[in-house]
Amino acid sequence: MLEKTGIATVEQIESVTPSAERRGKGAIAVCECFQNIPCNPCYTSCKFNAMKPLIDINDRPEVNPDKCTGCGICISNCPGLAIFVIDETYSETEALVKLPYEFLPLPEDGTFVTGTDRAGKAVCRAKVVKVLNTPAQDKTPVVWLAVPKELSMTVRCFKIDDIYSDNTYLCRCEEVTLGEIRELIRKGYTSVDEIKRISRAGMGPCQGKTCRQLIMNEISKMTGEKIQDMPVSTFRPPVKPIKLGMLAQSEDNDDE
Amino acid sequence: MRIEKHPILTFEKGETVTFTYNGTVYSGFKGEPIASALHANGVRTLGHTHDKHRPRGLYCAIGNCSSCLATVNGKPNVRICVEPLTKGMVVTQQNGRGVLKND
Repeated sequence: MLEKTGIATVEQIESVTPSAERRGKGAIAVCECFQNIPCNPCYTSCKFNAMKPLIDINDRPEVNPDKCTGCGICISNCPGLAIFVIDETYSETEALVKLPYEFLPLPEDGTFVTGTDRAGKAVCRAKVVKVLNTPAQDKTPVVWLAVPKELSMTVRCFKIDDIYSDNTYLCRCEEVTLGEIRELIRKGYTSVDEIKRISRAGMGPCQGKTCRQLIMNEISKMTGEKIQDMPVSTFRPPVKPIKLGMLAQSEDNDDE
Repeated sequence: MRIEKHPILTFEKGETVTFTYNGTVYSGFKGEPIASALHANGVRTLGHTHDKHRPRGLYCAIGNCSSCLATVNGKPNVRICVEPLTKGMVVTQQNGRGVLKND
């Protein structure tokens, strides 16, 4: 399964899960590294000699639960982003999961995100406790998430909430919200021209220059149609607002 | 608030001129966009939307979005983000479509 989907099996996860007793004592690294590959930064970066020496560089890492302090240095050093630190002593009900996160935008401290499992499925709301991104981490930021304690071995990534809401104005001129556009697409209006005629989105003084692309993007998200395959909405001159006087003064008219 | 130093661009400023916005006298540099002078003077609201009357400010700043339409020297629907400032201009906030004077 791992080879095909990149998602470790339950048995594989169980094989690297620290004992309940050790988890109750505080933070510890979890190496979800299941293939014998020639790689050893987890071992060389550990300041506490908590990684079993990799005699053969193809060996898989093994954490010594008595020596590991859960400091997290190995998280950023693992090129495979396979190491996490869990701390089930964080609070009464929550565990801390420290995970590598190489995406933009980085979340803000104190905000809430959707915690996801190894397959990307949403499993909980999680609070961003801290984002570590020092030069020593070499562009592998580490995000600390507070998650429900029973999900300490489940949450392995997160999704930042859509910054747009149904109340976001998509067409600024005619004041049409994203929610209204989504409702129209659900009803079956799936081209920019149809949406324009029924909602007036794109018919204000900017002539659709702001919202046209945004509407196409939303149609694409909801119908799966690619933007390059969509019919382009009708452009009528003048594409920029100009004064009638400028047309009247054109060279053609001067000749008459 | 103005950008005084920029890593790439240099700013050639025209002479300081005064103009009025909604009756208040402001100063700016001749030739800069009217909206730029207003922004530097702390004016953030340039109009209101026709339907829900939400405040409108500088948005695209390149003459695309028509968010900054104002009446300048009696002419309505002037995009003040691209209209150069001249001495003694009379600028008023425009709400709605504006009215043309009959000559």
